[in-house]
Amino acid sequence: MPFNQKPQKFNAQINTVTIGSGEKAVTLGGGSTFPFYTFDAPAENAPKVGVEITDMGLEGMSAGIKAYYDGAATMGEIAKKASEMEGADFVALYLEGGDPNGADKSVDELIAIVNEVAAAVDCPLVVEGCKNVEKDAELLPKVAEALQGKNVLILAEKEENYKAIGAAAGLAYNQIVGAESAVDINLAKQLNVVTTQLGVDAKKIVMNVGTACAGYGYEYVASTMDRIKGAALSQNDAMLQMPIITPVASETWSVKEAMASEADMPEWGPQDERGIDMEIMTAAADLAAGSDAVILRHPQSVATISKMIKELV
Amino acid sequence: MAKFVTIGERIHCISPVIREAMATRNPEPILKRAKEQLDAGATYLDVNIGPAENDGEDLMKWAVKLLQENFDNVPLALDTANKKAIEAGISVYNRAKGKPIVNSADAGGRIENIDLAAANDAIVIALCSAEGIPSDNDERMMYCQNMLERGMGLGMDPQDLWFDPLFLVVKGMQDKQMQVLEAIKMFSDMGLNSTGGLSNNSNGMPKHIRPIMDSALVAMCMMQGLTSAIVNPCDLRLMETIKSCDVFKDNTLYADSYLEI
Amino acid sequence: MALNGIQIFKMTPKKNCKECGCPTCMAFSMKVAQGAMDISACPHMSQEALDALSEATAPPMKTIKVGTGDAEYSLGGETVLFRHEKTFVSKTRYAVKLDCCMDAAAVDAKIEEIKKVDYERIGERMFVEMINVAYCGEHKDNFLDIVKKANETGRILVLDCEDADVAAEALAVCAANKPILNGANASNYEAMSKVATDAGVVLGVSGKDLNELYDTVAALEKSGNKNLVLDVTGASVKEAFGNAVQVRRASVKDQDRTFGYPSIVNLTKVAAGDKYMQAALASVFTMKYGSIVVMDQMTYAEALPIYGLRQNVFTDPQKPMKVEPGIYPLNGADENSLCLTTVDFALTYFVVSGELERSGVPCNLLISDAGGLSVLTAWAAGKLSSSTVAKFIQEEVEPKVKCRKLVIPGKVAVLKGDIEAKLPGWEIIVGPREAVQLVKFLKDMQA
Repeated sequence: MPFNQKPQKFNAQINTVTIGSGEKAVTLGGGSTFPFYTFDAPAENAPKVGVEITDMGLEGMSAGIKAYYDGAATMGEIAKKASEMEGADFVALYLEGGDPNGADKSVDELIAIVNEVAAAVDCPLVVEGCKNVEKDAELLPKVAEALQGKNVLILAEKEENYKAIGAAAGLAYNQIVGAESAVDINLAKQLNVVTTQLGVDAKKIVMNVGTACAGYGYEYVASTMDRIKGAALSQNDAMLQMPIITPVASETWSVKEAMASEADMPEWGPQDERGIDMEIMTAAADLAAGSDAVILRHPQSVATISKMIKELV
Repeated sequence: MAKFVTIGERIHCISPVIREAMATRNPEPILKRAKEQLDAGATYLDVNIGPAENDGEDLMKWAVKLLQENFDNVPLALDTANKKAIEAGISVYNRAKGKPIVNSADAGGRIENIDLAAANDAIVIALCSAEGIPSDNDERMMYCQNMLERGMGLGMDPQDLWFDPLFLVVKGMQDKQMQVLEAIKMFSDMGLNSTGGLSNNSNGMPKHIRPIMDSALVAMCMMQGLTSAIVNPCDLRLMETIKSCDVFKDNTLYADSYLEI
Repeated sequence: MALNGIQIFKMTPKKNCKECGCPTCMAFSMKVAQGAMDISACPHMSQEALDALSEATAPPMKTIKVGTGDAEYSLGGETVLFRHEKTFVSKTRYAVKLDCCMDAAAVDAKIEEIKKVDYERIGERMFVEMINVAYCGEHKDNFLDIVKKANETGRILVLDCEDADVAAEALAVCAANKPILNGANASNYEAMSKVATDAGVVLGVSGKDLNELYDTVAALEKSGNKNLVLDVTGASVKEAFGNAVQVRRASVKDQDRTFGYPSIVNLTKVAAGDKYMQAALASVFTMKYGSIVVMDQMTYAEALPIYGLRQNVFTDPQKPMKVEPGIYPLNGADENSLCLTTVDFALTYFVVSGELERSGVPCNLLISDAGGLSVLTAWAAGKLSSSTVAKFIQEEVEPKVKCRKLVIPGKVAVLKGDIEAKLPGWEIIVGPREAVQLVKFLKDMQA
């Protein structure tokens, strides 16, 4: 008696959202199964991999990452190299220098970098704010304005600033809106509801539902994504059917396991290897839980995760 | 658990406007009522064309196509005593948003509607009565068993028989209300789906009282495990109660704006 | 797993004879489902139905034990597909692979590498719990030598061997430590099952596809061997993932007990020679349903993330993850370095210690017992109060640390006065409300 396969069919699907334009545009979402459950239904759009660069250049990057960008002197050159990385589907520019508690760069200064990067790459672009809610409310609408017509993903509006960012990105300048909540399903849903109530098309929203490094409370991430995908598919909850993007790199490259030098922790071995594996393993877990796109930094991580996705779909 | 399924009852030939529109094949009044109900949060729409002995097949096809083409293949409950009309409706029905519902079979003269549903891979509302009102829950469950066996014998998934305990009017049968609630619990314990004309409870009550009674009853029924009801979705209080109960039952994720979606 | 009324009803004779005292078979079925009546009250149930019923009330997925003594582990026994539904119970175990084509030096080096990773994280010892020893069919003596060496490490062995005679010889060496004999398939399962049962060890079963695996498991069960694990590896990454998920889903969701066993996924086969891909997949199969994951290596680079991930995914939502109370010196802190305190909730500890490390400022992180709760919850529950902090400082910190400056979490700024009153000689400083503000806070403090 053969095994009685029972495919799990859902009468619902994740929205498809396209970022960028032209032949390099990427489309996220569209599936109607749990991640990589190709035995239930063929995959629609494979998850995508983005390469993160920051306005701070290569400051603080690991040796392996610096080596990859060797010779790139300007932000434009860095961006171009990022877009050429094996396995890269898009480039994510993280404007971390805008943080008032950090370098506190001015909006004008950052917009100049945004323009330089946008001009240097022909792949889709994601722009991440500095994470300070007040600064982002000022900065991200300007980013959306500067990149009109490029259909970029703006990461991200939060509960505190969705009106300014959502309206600018989603309505005034017709970009894709990233809605960020920190591992809180009710807030993830609420943010989608209020963003659509602003008039933003639900199919122009991508969620960042938060992540953590493997080992750092990752169970909350896994359960948040499991429950969001579950509600989107089995409860056909239209306010949770937005694809999920997860900026992995900024989390994984700031924990001890990835940052401690080999001199400080000799038994742990080379720092680059630890950083790569932390990035790879966290990204793989995010994808298994439901991310439709991940943002990484190290060329080895990008190549490996991109290859893994190809093998799984 | 899946979200509570509301079946909007307002496309009914008992309404003079709808009857007229059906007779003259005038789309406007029907589309208007459909839109109102969908905007209010109905999942399924019931299409009652009455006995329709003469042109039932043609009328049901027309109504199914009209509604599905205008409202993104909205799922429908086909409601008529004319079996041929139901089959005709199913023949043009698009299942993208859910199987058609045959409304309805009972354990008496209309038991063959189960066969019809089985033959057409449809859901059937199975009224737990043969003639008149069942005297107690033993009788209800006997009917339930008969219909379940018949459906399963024909290869139906038990989940596709939605059992109707037969809601009773409070004014006159107040002492039987708990029985209905207990019957729902029994269906639920069996893992079965259930539905019914819940607002029957408040028949004959003043207009402003009815939403209050209906809301209270739907909350109690959902606690007992009722999975669906045939209701007027334009009753705001009732719909708010259903949405709130869906949150408590973890059928839908809470968000501060949950009533607005 | 309890049956609902309808599942029991399907097995009744449906005669409505009333001999059980119920008006209908359906009413009877419901009472049985609720536990109000016993199935034996029906005189007409067939033996077949009774057997099916007892089978159906058994757990959907068996718990299989491997190893002995301290190194005894449970595999399987899961009841849900998603951890939020209840909890996952048996952690994924990782095995590092040795094979009979390796020479002695390579084997020794690998064993040394395996032993190197051994540390503690939030009360859990992290190390390579299993070693996979593979027999290719040719180097029998070498295989037996490696089995012996690997067995001496005390780690549980997973023997990949499809030759029943060689397997018997290998088990003669290591059976006492309760390894897994992984090598039964459609053509050799009878012989392999005999070897495994004679030695009292778990048998690993594989098949060229899920149907063949299913049939082989059914045949093994029929012969009386239910001490199994299923090698779901398959020919590709995609197949392995599909198999692992479908086997788990069939058992837990669809109650198909033939597939109700733990799984083995061998990454050295589907991602041969690619350590990064193996790392990525180890993570995927930790999330989704690998009971044993076989890899080529487990150095600190793989171990730090994967054991952390496993600890998270398999944590019981009912029990908070706690770190040990104590003094944690960071960035080369000594007895004169600044003190900061927070609660023992693992997530709080990691976030706070991470930010402190990022600041580069030498400091002592003082963790007191707060019941594993977060700062505000612990405060509300009375587990983080001026008395708990003062007591901890006096008993544990004052004898060891000379600095008398203590930073408390901004969320419990209200405690400042009381702590000062209870700890004469200490300067109490209110820190930021969120850990992310710590770097700037410390920088400002130094300025």
